[in-house]
Amino acid sequence: MKPLTLRRLLWTCGSLSALLLVVIVIALKLGAVPVSVTDLVMSLGRVAIGRSDRLPAEYRLIVFDIRLPRILLGVMVGASLSVAGAGFQALLRNPLADPYVLGVSSGSALGAIIAINVAPQFALATPLGAFLGAVATITCVYFLGLREGNLDSTTLLLAGIICASFLSAIIMFLMTTLSSRDQRGMAFWLMGDLSTPQTSDVRWLFLVGLVVAIGAIYTTAADLNLLLTGEREAAHLGVEVTRVKLVVYVAASLLTALAVSASGAIGYVGLLIPHAMRFLFGSDYRILIPASALGGAIAIVAADAMARTVVAPTELPVGAVTAIAGAPIFIYLLRRRMR
Amino acid sequence: MSIGAEGVNRNRRRSGARTLRSAAAALVLLAAGAAFAYPLRASSDSRDTPARLAVTDEFGRTIQVPQPVLRMVSLAPSMTETIFALGAGDRLVGDTDACDYPAAAKTTAKVGSVEAPSIETIVALRPDLVLATSLNRQETVEALDRLGVPVYVADPHTVQDVVQSTARLANLIGAGDAGQALVGNLRARLDALRRRLSGVPPSRVLFVVWTEPLISIGRHTFITDALAWADAQSVVDTERDWPQVSLEEMVRLQPAYLVFAGSHGDAGAPSLADLQARPGWRDLEAVRAGRVVVVSDALARPCPRLLDAIEELARDLHSEVFPENPR
Repeated sequence: MKPLTLRRLLWTCGSLSALLLVVIVIALKLGAVPVSVTDLVMSLGRVAIGRSDRLPAEYRLIVFDIRLPRILLGVMVGASLSVAGAGFQALLRNPLADPYVLGVSSGSALGAIIAINVAPQFALATPLGAFLGAVATITCVYFLGLREGNLDSTTLLLAGIICASFLSAIIMFLMTTLSSRDQRGMAFWLMGDLSTPQTSDVRWLFLVGLVVAIGAIYTTAADLNLLLTGEREAAHLGVEVTRVKLVVYVAASLLTALAVSASGAIGYVGLLIPHAMRFLFGSDYRILIPASALGGAIAIVAADAMARTVVAPTELPVGAVTAIAGAPIFIYLLRRRMR
Repeated sequence: MSIGAEGVNRNRRRSGARTLRSAAAALVLLAAGAAFAYPLRASSDSRDTPARLAVTDEFGRTIQVPQPVLRMVSLAPSMTETIFALGAGDRLVGDTDACDYPAAAKTTAKVGSVEAPSIETIVALRPDLVLATSLNRQETVEALDRLGVPVYVADPHTVQDVVQSTARLANLIGAGDAGQALVGNLRARLDALRRRLSGVPPSRVLFVVWTEPLISIGRHTFITDALAWADAQSVVDTERDWPQVSLEEMVRLQPAYLVFAGSHGDAGAPSLADLQARPGWRDLEAVRAGRVVVVSDALARPCPRLLDAIEELARDLHSEVFPENPR
């Protein structure tokens, strides 16, 4: 493991942030309605010097009221899923773990649907239900993945996949109780979709939850590095294993729940982004966590820009784009591990 | 580096790690703050159109519609047809990929599919009013709502609802005269149908929305009511709107006719020979005897042309009371 310096951390985060900014600007340009680069730069300049009142009205609507909030939601969802994935991978000592593969996303979705049915008038019901669903699922999958007291990575993955399909079946069953109009909305949401507008309350809740949960996982980063060598070894080196595991489980479940309640089950981002970041910057969690957050944001913003443009003006759910890109890479990683 | 060395170095590293940690936390906060620095204002309409009409749509939502309505976007085929039927087709500036009637609707600017249209394309068309139905996703309606675009959502459950919806829409878009004439015509035709079919025993039919899997209609859909106007009764009677029903149950119920909307060869309406070859379907008396009726696709569209489809179906099912127009 390369020694970590403040300089290296700043360089990594700085370059990824710059890349994210570039991707955001490109995503602001792309869409069903054509926007020229010059116009975009001019209007961004006007916003930057505080003259946003000079923008043409429909321009402001399309670029800043429609595309920008969606891109920012994508940033938050991508960061959450990716850090949640990195967290689960450390805890389960399995590089193929991710909220989607482990069934946590499905559990979250089921929790959200039950919450919407039980307390439709309560605005926070969806994220709360999603959180409880996520915690319950990861607990279940964890115990199902144990073999003679040890986590077995194949058993764990199978347990996750089976839980996901079981939970999806229950979701299908519950959907039959909905009106046909709600069913269509739900089907789209389940695929993973960023087009649903969020109220500013939900956006703030998401932001606060995101910062708190990523911060909490980051405080355990040094311990997670040691945990990778094994729980007993880490305990010998002075890691409070139980506390660290609890913090990361709860925080990663919270991140999954926030992402799922805002955008449904978007797959493979939580799996592949930490992988890519580990490949690029090494497996030190102190750098992997911020890098995953930024990388996840870049991936989702780029995938959603594609979802908005490939069959424009019709939109695809972003989950379809991430699955098309992610599933083959997942298979490749799985096969390489088996060798 | 061995694990042991990592452990020994741990305490020394701790203070460095703390600095790193705060640096990273600051970065995250900075990024988050920057992301939220641009305030998302509720859009204000800069056009000087003070005259607005407050109306309640069929989902009970109150919307403010600028008057006169000069630019409309339709998000459903039935809405597109209604606008053209009211003679306001020239004010329709956008519609969906599924809007195929009348022919002029095909050349209108497209905003995407019924299920996932592009919100920004709709907004760029600067509509005074967007017309939607219960076919559209609630999320689409909410997104437009939030951007200050008035959306009228229709939700007809009966043929009378369709007629009333047409009248309401006519008033809303300032086509009152055309609306009165159209609604008068529709009501007169409904009355004529009722008179002609009174005393005729209704036919028991299975309306097929889709064949694989078999999807039919529930009792609260306008199609069930449209069938009733044509003196036909659906053998399927469920609370759910678009139930998936088992072929086995249909074999037990043995409907006198199968009714399809569309044309033979569509995914929804296979040919008679095709049905007679399919297992399950060939056990239906109606299929064996060739009592399969295919009427205009308008039977599945809550728009004025629905009346044409109802009349067509009535003539097909009860030719004995339509002697002047044998089929």
